[in-house]
Amino acid sequence: MKKRTKKLIALFMATMMVGSLAGCGGSGDSSSDSAAAEESGSGDSKEIVFWNIGTEEVDKAIYDKAIENFNSNTESGYTVSSVPVQNDNYKEKLVIAMSSGECPDMYISWSGGPMNEYIDSGYAQPITELFNNSELPDRLMDAAIEQAKYKDEIYAVPYMNISISGIYYNTEIFEKYNLEVPTTISELEAVCDTLVENGITPFALANGPKWTGSMYFMNLAARYGGLEPFQEAVAGTGSFEDECFIKAGETIQNWVEKGYFPEGCNSLSEDDGQARQMLYQETAAMSLAGSWYTSMMQQDSKEFAAKMGWFAFPAADDANTDASILIGTVGDNFISFNCEGEKLEAAFECATKFSEDDQIDFMIESGKIPPIKGVDEKLSDETSKTIMQAVNNASAVQLWYDQYLPPAVASVHLDTCQEIFGLTMTPEEAAKQFQQAMEEYNADKAE
Amino acid sequence: MDTYKKNQMKSRISWIFATILALAWTLVAILPFIFMVLNSFKEKFEMMTKGVFNLPDKFYLDNYKAVLEGNFITFFLNSVIVLLVTLVLLLFISACASYPLARFKFKLNGPIYALIVACMAIPVHITLIPVFKMTKAWGLYDSIWALLGPYVAMAIPISVFILTSFMKEIPMEIEESAAIDGCNRYQMFFKMILPLSKPGLSTLAIYNGVNIWNEFSFAYTLTQSAQNRTLPLAVWEFQGQYSMNTPMIMATLTLTVLPMIILFIFAQDKLVKGMTAGAVKG
Amino acid sequence: MKEKNSLLLKRQREVRNAAFIFLLPIAILMTIYVFYPIVDTFITSLYKWNGISADKTFIGLKNWQKLMTDTNFWSAFKNNIIVMILSICIQIPIGLALATYIDFVGKKATVFKVLWFIPMLMSSVAIGFLFSYALATSGGIISTISNFFGGGNIDLLGNPKTALYTVIGVIAWQFTPFYMVYTMAAFTNISTDVFEAARIDGATRSQYFWKIAFPLLKPSLKSAAILSMVGSLKYFDLIFVMTGGGPGTSTELMATYMYKYSFSKFNMGYGSTVAAGMFILISIVSLVTMRLLNGKEEA
Repeated sequence: MKKRTKKLIALFMATMMVGSLAGCGGSGDSSSDSAAAEESGSGDSKEIVFWNIGTEEVDKAIYDKAIENFNSNTESGYTVSSVPVQNDNYKEKLVIAMSSGECPDMYISWSGGPMNEYIDSGYAQPITELFNNSELPDRLMDAAIEQAKYKDEIYAVPYMNISISGIYYNTEIFEKYNLEVPTTISELEAVCDTLVENGITPFALANGPKWTGSMYFMNLAARYGGLEPFQEAVAGTGSFEDECFIKAGETIQNWVEKGYFPEGCNSLSEDDGQARQMLYQETAAMSLAGSWYTSMMQQDSKEFAAKMGWFAFPAADDANTDASILIGTVGDNFISFNCEGEKLEAAFECATKFSEDDQIDFMIESGKIPPIKGVDEKLSDETSKTIMQAVNNASAVQLWYDQYLPPAVASVHLDTCQEIFGLTMTPEEAAKQFQQAMEEYNADKAE
Repeated sequence: MDTYKKNQMKSRISWIFATILALAWTLVAILPFIFMVLNSFKEKFEMMTKGVFNLPDKFYLDNYKAVLEGNFITFFLNSVIVLLVTLVLLLFISACASYPLARFKFKLNGPIYALIVACMAIPVHITLIPVFKMTKAWGLYDSIWALLGPYVAMAIPISVFILTSFMKEIPMEIEESAAIDGCNRYQMFFKMILPLSKPGLSTLAIYNGVNIWNEFSFAYTLTQSAQNRTLPLAVWEFQGQYSMNTPMIMATLTLTVLPMIILFIFAQDKLVKGMTAGAVKG
Repeated sequence: MKEKNSLLLKRQREVRNAAFIFLLPIAILMTIYVFYPIVDTFITSLYKWNGISADKTFIGLKNWQKLMTDTNFWSAFKNNIIVMILSICIQIPIGLALATYIDFVGKKATVFKVLWFIPMLMSSVAIGFLFSYALATSGGIISTISNFFGGGNIDLLGNPKTALYTVIGVIAWQFTPFYMVYTMAAFTNISTDVFEAARIDGATRSQYFWKIAFPLLKPSLKSAAILSMVGSLKYFDLIFVMTGGGPGTSTELMATYMYKYSFSKFNMGYGSTVAAGMFILISIVSLVTMRLLNGKEEA
């Protein structure tokens, strides 16, 4: 028995040693770094950890420029260290960190449902006072600030890009077939019919990720019924079974049947560039896309980007709805803060660097449209100017459904919308499921 | 005589048939790989306009240059360290555990084996949060050493399962004769069982090696700064919010896979060693 | 008599001690990294929790009740079963055939061995990308071939009826090499003498394979089947990359379903319930199968 205990202890010691060795190695290898990381969340470290999604150029350079600007000029004594994480993995990493009660001092979100969830869970501080005492209210567009609010408090700093959905079109193809920019949906359909007759796919769409097809749905619904049906449905006073949602679904299915979309678009991947490929190969003439397409196409080929024009989603023929309404986001990315006192002030100061003149010029050069007042005067790119004009004229900008809605409801919308495109579900069935998910969420919330 | 000829004909025909199938499978197996390499030599716009399955206009090397000038080397070294340490620990610990399970007769043998099989059923994603918490608590967060524990532990059930079934196949006489020579169990393990399990160990090294080399979830959950990342995260630098730079990603992935191919060329040799050793004896 | 008994006891104790020491390291590791997360998952499954907030609400077995009647979960389980059956039926026979070919050809087949192993080495990112282009309706390889023979475009991934089978094909393509290597290792256990003796007796290659090699490989093939089974039941990667569970829910698997609840729908409580349910189902299926496969030997 004694022998066994001895052996046991020896073995245990050995395992512990391996463990502690590994531990030593760890702290030796990356002491400077892990020390900083450990303080993420709270504490009196002078380092502010900033999680963001700037992994790829040009975004990486934009983040680096603003953060570098803060680090070399601040008098707060704090430094910001940037942790870029790839977009898809970012959301998961954030959930994992928060579920353990750890949260970086600064992090980005897309506002809407997920941001509200972070706020409700206590991972974002209201910054209304800081915000109003700073230059930001003068600099940032009101619509952008509106999106950063939750329950009458400002919780985030918008920046980066005005991402509005609109239709990019190939001007050369339009010229070749004597097509005019359509102003109503029936004109748009006429354009599409001409294109189909000539063997060109009207819309390049890769609906694998589902939110790409959702853009058509949202725009059609807004044209048919305005914004009230959506707002009422979310609040629980209306319903997603409203006529405008059904009609949007019907139009999509009608368009699918008429060959307006590429065959098998539900399995094409947007991230892999399968929609842009059709535009570049000129087998498709248009695409309803977010305005980030401008900078993306410019990076792929300046020559091709110059060929592309832009128009807002055309008006409905018979409905008396406001056709200036746009779907999208004013800002795209929003910085939230999870720190207090001096640290919060310093972090906020860093966030203001994203809207300083130098930074704005750099972002515009990279094809972005930062959500800044008077940004239209700085733009030189024709497409960006057209987009900005539409934004300025818009009576309202509705945030993407999948971003605005609580994630559980959003995913039902995306799934059913994809099935509408696949003709595997009728618009009525889709609307019913959508409504059901919303009701369940509201009931759950009330509980 | 006639039947012999017939048999020979038959076997020749089936040989030809088998070889044709083998060549066809080769094509299926490597075509995606070839296109991965080909696309790594294209410019982004070229790939998008001319299509993914075309030959590159010219062998454009800037992608590789850009990848190698980035953090690739750091990630590569981290991956190598993690891979080596994990494999050594994993193989040793799994072999230790498999030995009694395969060759001892004791009461708890069956239940323990069943428990380990059940552990194969654990989905990786449910371990992320608990492992993240522990890693933070131990101060290992954001270092490559944080990866060792989960990598070894996640691979253990399957490794023990495979190795146990391998060790069961080793003839009992070997142990009995060693016992007569006065070997105790520990000596027996190191001198007889471990060497005889080489084919099984090599299979495990290959299988787990590939998995660890490509492992993604723990890698980004448990690290955050660039100098502590491993190779699978290298593609991040070419993936944006709405798009990705595919040729660059292909270049990165080609560079990632090459060391594994080289390693496999060496490791597969071990898989026939038993065979040829027997032949020499015969 | 008494002496013999004590000798036996001593021997038993010695076996137990040795087993204990050999199993200790794995016990420690498994406790930390596997048992603890499993227990944690089961506990979380009793709560209503969005996954990030500090407060959780204890709701007893409500999540489990929901799971029992959740048609989406059970249809995901059904998809998993399809993946499992087809994976076993495709991957293992092809793997065995490849390994047999290599075994018969001998040293000269090294090139094949290396080339055939390559799919296993490729990352899911590359596989997802290349196959989504290869399977694209217009301009994809499959559709081009179909057009060449006069058929129309084929939309394999976008059609809810074929999407799952298409991904299963890609999964099989990726994992067959593993079963090849696995069977190759099993072949090394068959001594060359056996093969030589069979040849001298005038056995043809196919006779040798079916009468001698195959029975000897059987235990390894059984293990391979269990591995494939467990792997398929908790499969995640390529489904997530290639279809994300769509179109609709036609390719949803238990693991992707669980992932969506835990990490994107802010419902960690239910996500954990799905994970725990999944764990129970996989354990039962694999242990029962193992019993059935090994039943004769152990009985």
